Amino acid sequence: MKKAKFSAFLSTMIVCFIFWLLLTGQIVSIFKGEASIEVLIAGILASIIISLFSARFFIHEKAFYLFNPLKILCLLFYSIFIFGWELIKANIDMAFRALKPGKLKINPGIVKVPTKLKSEYGLSMLANSITLTPGTITMDIVDQGDETFLYIHWINVTVTDENEAGEAIKGTLEKWVRRIWK
Amino acid sequence: MRIAVDILIGISLFFAFAGTVGLLRMPDTFSRLQSSTNIATLGLLGVIIGGIVYSIGQYADYTMAVKLAILGVFYIITNPISGHSLTKAAYRHGIRPKDGFVCDKYGEDMENDD
Repeated sequence: MKKAKFSAFLSTMIVCFIFWLLLTGQIVSIFKGEASIEVLIAGILASIIISLFSARFFIHEKAFYLFNPLKILCLLFYSIFIFGWELIKANIDMAFRALKPGKLKINPGIVKVPTKLKSEYGLSMLANSITLTPGTITMDIVDQGDETFLYIHWINVTVTDENEAGEAIKGTLEKWVRRIWK
Repeated sequence: MRIAVDILIGISLFFAFAGTVGLLRMPDTFSRLQSSTNIATLGLLGVIIGGIVYSIGQYADYTMAVKLAILGVFYIITNPISGHSLTKAAYRHGIRPKDGFVCDKYGEDMENDD
């Protein structure tokens, strides 16, 4: 395990402090102009202690990568609209698949899908998005030479070719994740 | 206001029900896990969004709304990890569906490595 840099420590601390503000409800008080100094100081101390221990697990790459308004806007837009829409479509499909009387219409299989993402957070975000969409679960991520592959359990296999299956499963998702992470 | 909250919770109950039915009807471990993500996503998010709408509309309590939103975010981040490791562990343990997979790239590649 590498030793954490100071920039990694600082950005972990900022993230921790933002969550402290959200959880204690201070963010609402700041807008009303009645924030209490004691709570803020306690929050800074707590986030310093936590980030001393956890910075080296939290950040391995560029520390201030996500502190970029455009990236955060992209992240919000992706997670609310793009991902939300995919989620609703897949949920309805899966619900009717389960509730339909008669024989179950399932066609399970494991497909291998290439991805162009490189960074740790990008890969885990794509894998999490795929797992959260009902009907597909990411089983493993492997590096083979230059390329990265995802193994995906798919409940209704329509195509087995690597690229076509990739397009069907993660078409729009990956395009948007690549706008946020490398 | 109250009607919107009721509709949201009703939707999420419907999806939780569908997920449970799927859990009971699906033939093998992997498909059961697939069906359970139904409960995990819209089933829970509907309740959380309903709670946010209720706490803002009824009590104008933004602190509660923010806390609920954080609950949803952390749930979304951490939940897929369990599904991912469960399927991987089940596969490695040698569990296979009765009718077999349509295609099984994972197993083929694992044999090639050995």
